[in-house]
Amino acid sequence: MMPWRAGILLLLAWLAVLPLPAAAEYADVVLNRRAEAQGVRPVVFQHWFHRIRFRCKVCHAELGFKMRVGANDITMADIIDGRFCGACHNGDIAWAPDKCDMCHSGKRGLPTGIVGGHETGGPGRW
Amino acid sequence: MTFETAFSSRGIVGAVAASALLLASATAAAQAGKDLYAKTCAVCHAAGVAGAPRLGNAADWQPRIAGGTARLYASALQGTPKGMPAKGGNTAASDAEVRAAVDFMLASVKGAAPAAAKPAAAAPAAASAATPAAPKSAATVAAPAVTAPAPAAPAMAPQLAAVDTSANTTGGSAADINSFNRLLKPAGKRNPPPAEDGIHDPSNDGTHALMAPLAAYATLPKSNAGNRVDWVKSLNEGKINPRWDRANPNDVPVVIDLNIVREVKGSMPDVVYPHKQHTEWLDCSNCHPAIFNPQKGSNVISMAAILLGEKCGVCHGKVAFPVSECRLCHSKKKDFRPAQAATTAK
Repeated sequence: MMPWRAGILLLLAWLAVLPLPAAAEYADVVLNRRAEAQGVRPVVFQHWFHRIRFRCKVCHAELGFKMRVGANDITMADIIDGRFCGACHNGDIAWAPDKCDMCHSGKRGLPTGIVGGHETGGPGRW
Repeated sequence: MTFETAFSSRGIVGAVAASALLLASATAAAQAGKDLYAKTCAVCHAAGVAGAPRLGNAADWQPRIAGGTARLYASALQGTPKGMPAKGGNTAASDAEVRAAVDFMLASVKGAAPAAAKPAAAAPAAASAATPAAPKSAATVAAPAVTAPAPAAPAMAPQLAAVDTSANTTGGSAADINSFNRLLKPAGKRNPPPAEDGIHDPSNDGTHALMAPLAAYATLPKSNAGNRVDWVKSLNEGKINPRWDRANPNDVPVVIDLNIVREVKGSMPDVVYPHKQHTEWLDCSNCHPAIFNPQKGSNVISMAAILLGEKCGVCHGKVAFPVSECRLCHSKKKDFRPAQAATTAK
């Protein structure tokens, strides 16, 4: 009786942990540390779009984006001051941050994380 | 016009009836307006992003004030084509708070007295006058945005459930056979446009302005995993030319052509790590020394660590080609003949 119940609970927990939006493009990142708490949609960052235009190093070495989802605490003030996304999204290299809904385009309620059928996960302690 | 008359008549009645009460509510509203300004409006209205009129800059505000306070309220609530989002993008704010924030900004350029007295009286009038106007013009845009934020945090479960069902229904019957296996994505579910990918909000206008992946991938070499694009080949064949420097399109990387062979246990081919393909994309500091000690033989790497997102797994399996492509790394075939000769000699 008890192992049965434990098994069902485990199965349910496993199903809950499975990444649900698996249809998303590989390496899409949902950023929702601050967005929804401040009344806007979560940000969806699409790696594929950016890597066609910039090598990894530009953002991950020059601009200071840490290579771990959730490790970059970015505010709109940072972006407007030309840091992080704002280093390019300044109306000069890419469009300016006045187009809120281009970045803040995620479904409400999505947690911060990498999506799109990733195969490695875990805490990534390095 | 009707708004203006309602505004003034109510203002007189209100002032005569309960001036003390109004004063109290005016200060409360002023505080709410100041709070909302600091939280939301200041993002653009402090520095003048996208031509937003700046706080305390009379020249910015003068032409807008000439249009009337009612129009300013309407612009703030419903947004403008010039770039002002409805309620400044903070759809959780109430209409009264947004008006109070407009009043706060107006007070910064006008001198507080007239601006503070009028809006306090106008608030109820504006509420009654503005709401019937809103559904006509901006209902399609504003209504879903206004209803959505209310269940923000507690509605996480229903939101995710909705994502789940949409993924199931859009897949098609042939797709469902292996739908339990997230590594086997059926062709119909690969590279969907943003509006159908399960993470973008289709009710958001910006979602539809985003590029669809397949539009960009059409000319790129294919692969069997990840984005289903062979990024290294795309770069080598010149199909894409991503910048090495943020601002300088002519800057080129310092490519190191150095292969590191890692012998692995069992019959699995040895790993050949090519610095070349990595330095075409990355800076040395991306991997050394935080992820890999830059000394041959000093890094303990296992598939278990990689699958946990460490070592190679920091990128491979998340953004670079995934671990299902064994032979891209395990590419140096072992020579078993000497070993066999040794055993037969015994």
